[in-house]
Amino acid sequence: MTSTPTSSIPVHVIGGYLGSGKTTLLNALLSASQEPIAVIVNDFGEVNIDAALISAQHDDVIELTNGCICCAVGTSLADVLFTILDREQLPSLIVIEASGVADPAGVVSYSHMAGLHNAGTVVLIDTVAAMTTMKDKYVGKVFARQIVSADLLALTKCDISSSESQNHIRTVLTTLAPSTPVVLCSPGVLSDFLQVSTPIVEPNNHQLTFISQHLDKVDFIDDQDIRTTLENLPSSVVRAKGIVDIKNGERRLVQMVGRHLAITSTPLAATGIITIAVES
Amino acid sequence: MPSASDVIFTARLIRTANPARPIAQAIAVREGKVLAVGTLEECKEWGIENIDTRFADKVLTAGFVEAHAHSMSGMYNTIPYVGWFGRHMPDGNWVDGIRSTDDLIARIRTIADITPAGQSIIVAGFDPIYMNSDRLDRFHLDQATLEHPVFVFHASAHLATVNSCLLDKYDITAISQAPGVGRQQDGSPNGELREPAAMALARDEFRFIGRTVTSPETFTHFGAAMRNAGITTVADLGNLFYVSEESRASLVNMTSEPHFPIRVVSTSRITGGIKEAQDTVPKILASRQHEHDKLFFPIVKLVLDGSIQGFTAVLQWPGYFTGEDHGLFLTAPEQVVDILRPFHEAKIGIHCHCNGDATSEVFINAIESLLSEHSWLDHRHTITHAQLITSAQMRRARNLGMVANFFVNHMFFWGDQHRNTTVGPDRAQHLNPCGTADRIGLNYSIHTDAPVTPPGHLHTMWAAVNRTTPTGVVLGESERISIDRAFHAATIDAAYQLHLDHLVGSLEVGKYADMTVLDDDPYEVDSQTICDISVWGTVLGGIPQPRPTPTS
Repeated sequence: MTSTPTSSIPVHVIGGYLGSGKTTLLNALLSASQEPIAVIVNDFGEVNIDAALISAQHDDVIELTNGCICCAVGTSLADVLFTILDREQLPSLIVIEASGVADPAGVVSYSHMAGLHNAGTVVLIDTVAAMTTMKDKYVGKVFARQIVSADLLALTKCDISSSESQNHIRTVLTTLAPSTPVVLCSPGVLSDFLQVSTPIVEPNNHQLTFISQHLDKVDFIDDQDIRTTLENLPSSVVRAKGIVDIKNGERRLVQMVGRHLAITSTPLAATGIITIAVES
Repeated sequence: MPSASDVIFTARLIRTANPARPIAQAIAVREGKVLAVGTLEECKEWGIENIDTRFADKVLTAGFVEAHAHSMSGMYNTIPYVGWFGRHMPDGNWVDGIRSTDDLIARIRTIADITPAGQSIIVAGFDPIYMNSDRLDRFHLDQATLEHPVFVFHASAHLATVNSCLLDKYDITAISQAPGVGRQQDGSPNGELREPAAMALARDEFRFIGRTVTSPETFTHFGAAMRNAGITTVADLGNLFYVSEESRASLVNMTSEPHFPIRVVSTSRITGGIKEAQDTVPKILASRQHEHDKLFFPIVKLVLDGSIQGFTAVLQWPGYFTGEDHGLFLTAPEQVVDILRPFHEAKIGIHCHCNGDATSEVFINAIESLLSEHSWLDHRHTITHAQLITSAQMRRARNLGMVANFFVNHMFFWGDQHRNTTVGPDRAQHLNPCGTADRIGLNYSIHTDAPVTPPGHLHTMWAAVNRTTPTGVVLGESERISIDRAFHAATIDAAYQLHLDHLVGSLEVGKYADMTVLDDDPYEVDSQTICDISVWGTVLGGIPQPRPTPTS
């Protein structure tokens, strides 16, 4: 990619079969976000936003006291995105929930609209149910496609699944998506992980530690320099985010999820780049 | 009560769709309802002097009932129509079909001549399936104009072709990475935007279409377009009028208008998950309080998969014949029972879009579960499209009291593709298996899914009777049905699955005096020409509703 990045809103797509923890993640994002984000869900009912947090509700948009909004997708995802882009207060991040039986890749296509960019897809895998879902005669194929479409795979419910089952699932994931990083992760942790401005991810799971640290390098020549630097990070790094200056005086928002890297221009203040690695 | 408005219509022939008296010469109407059907003498015994002979050389049939169409069919009054088949616009004017890319270029050029430079030109309904010309691209459209962004929305609704001016407007170039942007060998865009995600790149034009298809004007034109095609009752299957009180009020107002020419079954589409489904039920029940003689809310729609030609229908073994399987459930199979339960329990009929046999299976399983939980003997839950349904599934559906609505127009519109590409030589013979359904005893209707195929039952009956593809191949001789069977599928059996057979679908005493007025008798003409019979218009509740005379 050699184009000049333009200022646009990063879009994360959250995929995963029913029960994999998408709703818990979206709830955490909406209620704990430290930045104004927009979350697009399939069904308001499922998200169950705390009434105390709601400041206004009209048509298919719920506004929260922390500046976040939650939109129901209804029948047209394009329309919801147009509505968000029409708003005076643009969100810093859009998170779209793919339906439990959707291939997230189809949803990612919408992030190419003017004003948006694809910041990476996270697919959640329910470690209790995955082996059954995988063999289901109706949805087994879709489940596999979700795995292939992920930039990062997050294993959920690891506190209640056996390590044997987790290992089995890891084997399957490695076969289907050999180069996609896999993390063990609660949805709550993922929420911090996805936000642009939350610097440090607190580990909350004894099975796994995230190591967050500032990237030493703060001066970049150009986009290619950023790209090369991030692509050469150790494979344990599953997430990088931040805002940096490049030589010509422009500023870049950098978003890496798994192996997916997006570099876009931004008016926000430089923060340096934070990398998040898994210790396995 | 006898009144001055009582009237007897005579005709060359009346086909009643009532097997107890299939043919009549006259029909007496009182208060918009059928008072008597029979000979003129029998009708006159009611003491009616007012005899209307305007249909003396016409054939009247029980009014056609379309159980699966969409109100967006009315968009062609706002967005110029560029489809393959010529058609009467809602205002009665005839628009010639577009038979080549040259035709299209010429049509767009005439629009460009009267459009200020820079203003977008949007046309819809383009259907290149039968054209021998090269695949439409931006260079064709550039021949029409370099000064206007051009957006050609295809009939399939899955594709748009745009010109270079439009690509420039949105900076869609070789380096834009959006999937669905068609490319030439050198990587530069060829003007094709596939699927809504890519079409949405053309933000203004795509939004214009979105706003148009849901506008009140489009709904009004929908009524007229259906009337022009001879339909007297139509199910607008899967709209969003239930979303707010305001939109429902607008629907009630539009249909109450005395000149609104058709009865509408307004059908919400279930979106979202289980909770949203639960929330939809009270909205439908509340809507039923606003029903009147041209507006009904008996059913709801769920969509389970995509289309066969798009490879997005979910097929059982052995899957697609050629091409990559993109089969996708739009609703999780394990949630279908929970999503449908509140509707079933509230006695709201369910029409479920199932193109593939895997989705038919999931829906039948769900209805079996729901019936064991909660008895509703007369549910008439409908598998709509049901194109690939198997014999075993049809026997189960019959046993459970379900019915089907076959998309038999596919035998013509996509028949060759199904034979050669999607499902192959064997299964293509049994797509939309009307003949097998009759042998098994599964009741069914036939539909157009307008605007996916053009509105009107002459074509569906023709397709069900002949099953001929554009290349002249007959697909599934043993699935062909008689014109009598097809006529019932297009009238009373469609009314049955809409829970309206006590009101419409046949000409019987006490039911609405709704009729389709034809120039010829579909039973008597050469079966190959059923689809060519001219439609005069309809009679709705005893009031003639002629197709308007063209103004130009």
